[in-house]
Formats: sequence, C-alpha cells, structure tokens
Amino acid sequence: METVVNVIQWFANPAHWSGTDGIPTRFVEHIELSAVSVAIGAVIALPVGIVLGHYGRFGALAMSLSNVGRAIPSIALLVLAFQVFGLGNLPIVIALTALAIPPMLTNSYVALREVDPDIKEAARGMGYREPAQILRVELPLAVPLVMAGIRTSAVQVVATATLAALIAGGGFGRYIIDGFGQQDYTKLVAGGILVALLALVTEGLLSGLERLLMPRGLRLLAAPAARRVVFKTA
Amino acid sequence: MNWKARSAFLAAVVAFAMTAVACGSSPSSGGSSSGGSSPKGSVTIAGFNFTEGSVLAELYGQALEHDGYSVQYKLNLGNREVVSKAIEAGSIDAYIGYAATDLEFYNKGAGEASGDVNANVNKLNGHLQSLNMVALNPSAAIDQNAFAMTKANAQKFNATKLSDLAAHGSDIVLGGPPECANRPFCKPGLEQTYGIHFKDFKSLDADGPLTRAALANGSIQLGLVFSSDGDLNSLGLVVLQDDKHLESADNVVPILRSTVATADVKKIMNAVSAGLTTNDLIDMNNQAGPQHMDPDAVAAAYLQKHNYFS
Repeated sequence: METVVNVIQWFANPAHWSGTDGIPTRFVEHIELSAVSVAIGAVIALPVGIVLGHYGRFGALAMSLSNVGRAIPSIALLVLAFQVFGLGNLPIVIALTALAIPPMLTNSYVALREVDPDIKEAARGMGYREPAQILRVELPLAVPLVMAGIRTSAVQVVATATLAALIAGGGFGRYIIDGFGQQDYTKLVAGGILVALLALVTEGLLSGLERLLMPRGLRLLAAPAARRVVFKTA
Repeated sequence: MNWKARSAFLAAVVAFAMTAVACGSSPSSGGSSSGGSSPKGSVTIAGFNFTEGSVLAELYGQALEHDGYSVQYKLNLGNREVVSKAIEAGSIDAYIGYAATDLEFYNKGAGEASGDVNANVNKLNGHLQSLNMVALNPSAAIDQNAFAMTKANAQKFNATKLSDLAAHGSDIVLGGPPECANRPFCKPGLEQTYGIHFKDFKSLDADGPLTRAALANGSIQLGLVFSSDGDLNSLGLVVLQDDKHLESADNVVPILRSTVATADVKKIMNAVSAGLTTNDLIDMNNQAGPQHMDPDAVAAAYLQKHNYFS
C-alpha cells in the first residue's frame, strides 16, 4: 500500500515532468527508438513476407530465418552491437529491429498464402496483372493478419526498448535501471508502469488503425449475422 | 504417428520432465556441492559489479580455500546497495569493501569518513555491530573514486584539479553509475565541496566500458573512475586532483557476517590485507581488465607470487 502511495506521489512531483530525466523527454526517447525500429523492421519484413506469401515459395526458409532471429536474446544482440558500434542509438535500433522483423515476416507470409486460390484465379481472370493483383486483391484481404503482425512487433519493441538503458540509452528503461541502481524502488515501479501503459496504448492505437484499414467487405463479414442480413437485402 | 507410437513418445517426454525436476531439486536439499566435504565449513564471498570486485573476492576467497574452507563465489553480484542487502539477509557471508564508502553507506551519508583509515574502520564497525557484521583490518591498498576527463578537455577547461571545474559546470556532463547521483562521494559531493553545478548527469556504469565510451565520444566530459585503474593513461584520460579532499581514505577492507568471522578466518583474511598494496591492486586490475585475464587466475598468480600457497 505504501508503494502505491509513493508511486502516486512520484507521478505527482512536478520535478519528474521536466528536464532531461523528465517523463516527457524519456517518453519522446522511448517512442523514437521504438518507432524507428518498427519502421525499419517493416520496410525489411513486409515486402519479403508479402512477395514470398504471394508465390507461396521459400516459406520454410523465411520462417526458419526469422525464428532464428526470435531465438537470439535481444540483450545479447544489444551488447554485441554496442561492442561493434559503440555508444549511441544505433546498437539499440539494431537489436530492436531484429526483434521487430519475425512477427511481421511470418504474419505477412501466412496472410498472403492463405488468400483463397479461387479469388486469386478470379483476379487473374478479370485481367489483373501480378502487382495489381497483390496490391488490390490479395493485400486488402490480408490486412487483418498483416496488421496483427505489426501490432505484435510494435508491442514487443515498446516493451523491450526498456533495455536501451543498459547501454546508457534513454527511454523509460532509464527509470528502471536507475531505480535499481539507486535502490529507489518507487522510481523502478513508476518506470515499469510507464512502459506497460505505453505498450497498451500502442496496442490500442494499432488495433484502431487495423479497423480503419480493413476493407468494407471483410468488416461486414466479421460483423454479427443480423447486420450481414441487412447488407444482403440492401 | 499411430496411437502406440504417440503414447510411447508421451511417456518418454513425461519421464524426461520428471527426471529434470528431480535433478533440479536435489542439490538444494543437499547444500552446495562445489567444495565437497570441508572440515572448516563454507564461506560465500560476493564481488561488486566491476573488475576489481571480482579480483578482490577471488583473492580473499582463494586464501580461505587454501586453508581448508569451502568457498562459493558470487562475482558481479551488483553494487553496494545490492550486496549489502544480500549480506544482511545472510545469502552471502562476506564481501570486500572500501573503508570510507562503506562507512558512509552504513551511516546513511552522515559525513563521518575522514582521511584516517583506522578511524573510518572503527566507526564502520560501530555501525556494523547491530547488523551482526564486522569489518576486519584494512589493507594498505586504496581505491578511491576519482574523476577523469580526456586530455583535450582538460586543456580546454585548463583543469588539473577538480576545483578548476567550478566555473565550467554548465559545459560539463558528469557520467557515472546510476547511484552516483545520490552518493556523497560522487555527484552531491562534487556539487557541495567543489561547487560544480553540472549541465547534466548521465547514468552509465561503475568505471566500465560505457563510461570509457562516453568519455571518448564526448557524450560526457567528466567520468567517475577508480584511482586503482591500470589503463587510464593509455586511454588518454587524466585524473583531476581531488584538491579539496572530497574522497576519504577508501582502503580495501573485508566485511563479514559476525558468525562467519572466526579467529581463523580473521587471521587468514588479515594476512592477505597486510600484504596488499595499491600498486598490487593496479597490477591486478590491469591484468583482469585491459589484458582480459580471468580474475581467478590473476588472484591465484598474486597469491602464488607472494607465497600464500607455500
């Protein structure tokens, strides 16, 4: 109970809301590291996953490679990258990007491969060329799974960006590492709460984006039966 | 897989899991197995989370091992905040501390530490008594907090001693382990004793690779290092003179739980302390740090050379 009161007081203290160690600064650092890593990861993983999924080839290879990526602990990668690239954000972004790639690659591959072959054939029959078929027919149908991959990646990366503080990086992890070093458990718990909150908000925002991007047809299919009837009669 | 093969496979998995559980739980009931049966009993020594901590733990530990104790090592256990919790809880029996820093730690920063090492250890023992702990004889070897900057920055600020920095505080970011922000011999001490008001403080590590990298790439201008470091000169770093004596006599001193500190244990550890000098410490740190030798090998070589094993 005392901890709860201490943590509330910690958040209420205006000193913790300004300066280089203030919550706004750490928030921006945390978001920057996470967003850059997920973006780079997406640029690498999504095209590869989508193309491989479209052709349904080399899936086993891509999955194994990305699963190896999952098996390497982020902390090991972080320390290794620090040895090579030195102090700064680069080693952190490298470790987080490696963490971001597997869920996006796997999900986009599966999403494209699972598109109904009849639909693909219909698209070809209607005269779609291959790029148009991927972009305008298969990808919209694959949105839910692809977005789920991005969401998983983003939440993992936001939670793991905490590790940046281990190699003198910023972000909310700073409160956890410093709180541990200074035996300031209030700060440590506050840091944990901030990271968890940010991960939840990320999850929520990306779910919203997923709903926006989902094609009308899929949305109606997912809707309760009553509304589907309305659609049919309309 | 047919039904028979599947159940055979399942049985194998279950058997493996049960064996694993059985193996995992047995050692804890039988106590630690590393030393086997030892007539004199067992001692667990912890080391702080920097190279010298490992070297010192090995040094005193191996001397005890040589005299018939079974010794468990918990190297790199953590900083003083962590290690002190461990010894108070009884999960370790001893660690090798530093007279002034430990005094100021256990008196909660009351400012009792001075340049007189014996006075420091006496006062430290006063605070340790109620915790059922005891500090042994201090060694002559000293490792103090020191503050280093690159030669280029020292020239730029025209600084050879810490008091030269008072006017430049707004251009200087201080780097050190997270706890430096609260420790009287670190950031608060520099502010009060020298009047240096830093532009910022950056949490790094206790005189480790992060601090060295941050000094080299300019993300900090002043870094906490240890006076017994062997590699500062070769890295182009200069230690600024502590001209207002912020740092007190920080001699190496073993700290034990009273129940472990028998006359025999005291005799063995005091003998090690009696022979240890600051130069020995610098040599050993140089071997274990920049030369990447194992702390246990470094400590063994030192004890061999100084005839503890004869």
